[in-house]
Amino acid sequence: MIETYNILSPDFERDAPRELMLLSIISQSFFQPFSLEDNLLVILTALTSGSGVGFNRAMLFLKQGDRLKGEMWLGPRSAEEAGLIWEVLSTPGIGYVEILEHNRALVSKNQETLSGRLKGLVYAADEEGALIPAYAACRKEILLVREAASEPLVDRRFLNVIGVDEFLCIPLLARDDIVGEIILDNAITRTPITPADIKLAGLCGLMAGNYIYSTTLHRKLLDMEKMAAMGEMAMFVTHQLRNPIVAVGGFTDQLLKPDIPEDKKRRNLTIIRDEVRRLENIIYQMGHFLKVSLKEPVYFDPGPAIAAVLSSPEILTKSEGYVLNAKLEPCLPEILCDPTSFSEVIRNLLDNAFDATPAGGTVSVRGYRKNRSGFVLSVRDTGRGITNPDKDQLFRPFFTTKENGMGLGLTFTKRVMDTCGGKVEVQSRAGKGSLFKLIFLCREKELTT
Amino acid sequence: MKKKILLVEDEKALCLLYEEELSREGYAVTAVTNAEVALAELGTTAFDLIVTDIRMPGKNGIELITQIMGLRKDIPIIINSAYQSYKEDFMTWAADAYVVKSASLDELKTKIKQLLGD
Repeated sequence: MIETYNILSPDFERDAPRELMLLSIISQSFFQPFSLEDNLLVILTALTSGSGVGFNRAMLFLKQGDRLKGEMWLGPRSAEEAGLIWEVLSTPGIGYVEILEHNRALVSKNQETLSGRLKGLVYAADEEGALIPAYAACRKEILLVREAASEPLVDRRFLNVIGVDEFLCIPLLARDDIVGEIILDNAITRTPITPADIKLAGLCGLMAGNYIYSTTLHRKLLDMEKMAAMGEMAMFVTHQLRNPIVAVGGFTDQLLKPDIPEDKKRRNLTIIRDEVRRLENIIYQMGHFLKVSLKEPVYFDPGPAIAAVLSSPEILTKSEGYVLNAKLEPCLPEILCDPTSFSEVIRNLLDNAFDATPAGGTVSVRGYRKNRSGFVLSVRDTGRGITNPDKDQLFRPFFTTKENGMGLGLTFTKRVMDTCGGKVEVQSRAGKGSLFKLIFLCREKELTT
Repeated sequence: MKKKILLVEDEKALCLLYEEELSREGYAVTAVTNAEVALAELGTTAFDLIVTDIRMPGKNGIELITQIMGLRKDIPIIINSAYQSYKEDFMTWAADAYVVKSASLDELKTKIKQLLGD
């Protein structure tokens, strides 16, 4: 017998140990499409919420270059505010999404918030003789500071800002590097920090450090991918522009020769005009690709959009000499996608299908429900198919097997499907044809009265 | 007798341009738009020189060169490409010359003359 459990929603009982609740909130937040800043805010929240460790306030320093910079400070400014916040945070059933929304306001850039007061604090991150709080990061050790006012290692400016005598410094480590530091205190309740609090806060610090590290690596990787794509784009554009430029230059040179007959003159001018139009089209398409930003996906009825594409003049012209058939199941559900991008994606797939298929071939469009939450829109052709090496590169920007293609259509398709939480699947056999399946999230159509 | 050049170029307008310009220089030019046809031509005609593009649909110029080397090692090959970067691909080093496409065909014509000893 096999039992299955959802990885992302471990529902703990309300009386579950606070450590489990805390780790659950933090680890689940990493799987949400939150920014680094928002996820760090979730960690600070967990450290200060009723269901978390239960510190009153949490302050975050992040390492930027060789400096530790005060970034966020979460917590109430007074006992009254504390009562209000903790009431919200301890509401049964409240999740990290609600907590996040609630706490964003508390760490806004408004100078009146705690975060505003923290912004001016910057320390060298690896300096000999550093003062607390940077001292903890430099030594890579958790520090519990008591009687801070009489401790010479505490920076006076920091002490003025934090305004308490007892606080905990948790350095955030990623492998062996410092990526930040969290400072925790109980400024409102004045309860002493316990060894159990320190252990749990230390564990949160490890998670936060590793999260910052992996996010930074991921960002670097994305930057590298972008750079590589830019390089590839530059190479592709050079080629795309150079060929028509050579044709324009070469045929113009011929025109300038004295012995050119009238019919050849006319032919050359026609070629030059066509090549200039091609250049114009390349520039237009590049501009379109570079500026296109995808809109938020919404649920909509795909039926009218598919019908509009199928009956558009360009598809009708392209389908001349082919068999084009479309079969959509009755009562289509609503699918999740940006409607404009959806139409463009269908147009792209149909374009590719006709381009890959010899005249007389068949292009079929199908729309059907895969299961309760999935809707498939497929485009099948009886064309030349895709070879295995080409299959691996299909969605790479600027990869094309067409003579005058830009190699951006399927890249765009993949981007659209990723944005709306959908998928693209490709089945193809060289010489037999291809099948492209777009799988969208869907829901039943809302009834209107 | 005119020297025979096999020209492989997938861009139809460029194919026409090169064919006309090299014919004007006194060569017998066979212009084809893909590598498969080029290989078929090589089987029937004894060309003195080959000019080929690299990025072409189907078999690309580098694959074509590799196959030509297996058939006839002695035939001079000129790569005529819009890409500067392929010069760094060692597979292109098998060619006798590498010309980056330009609106002026002077460099291509000069290389052809040099390789044919004209």
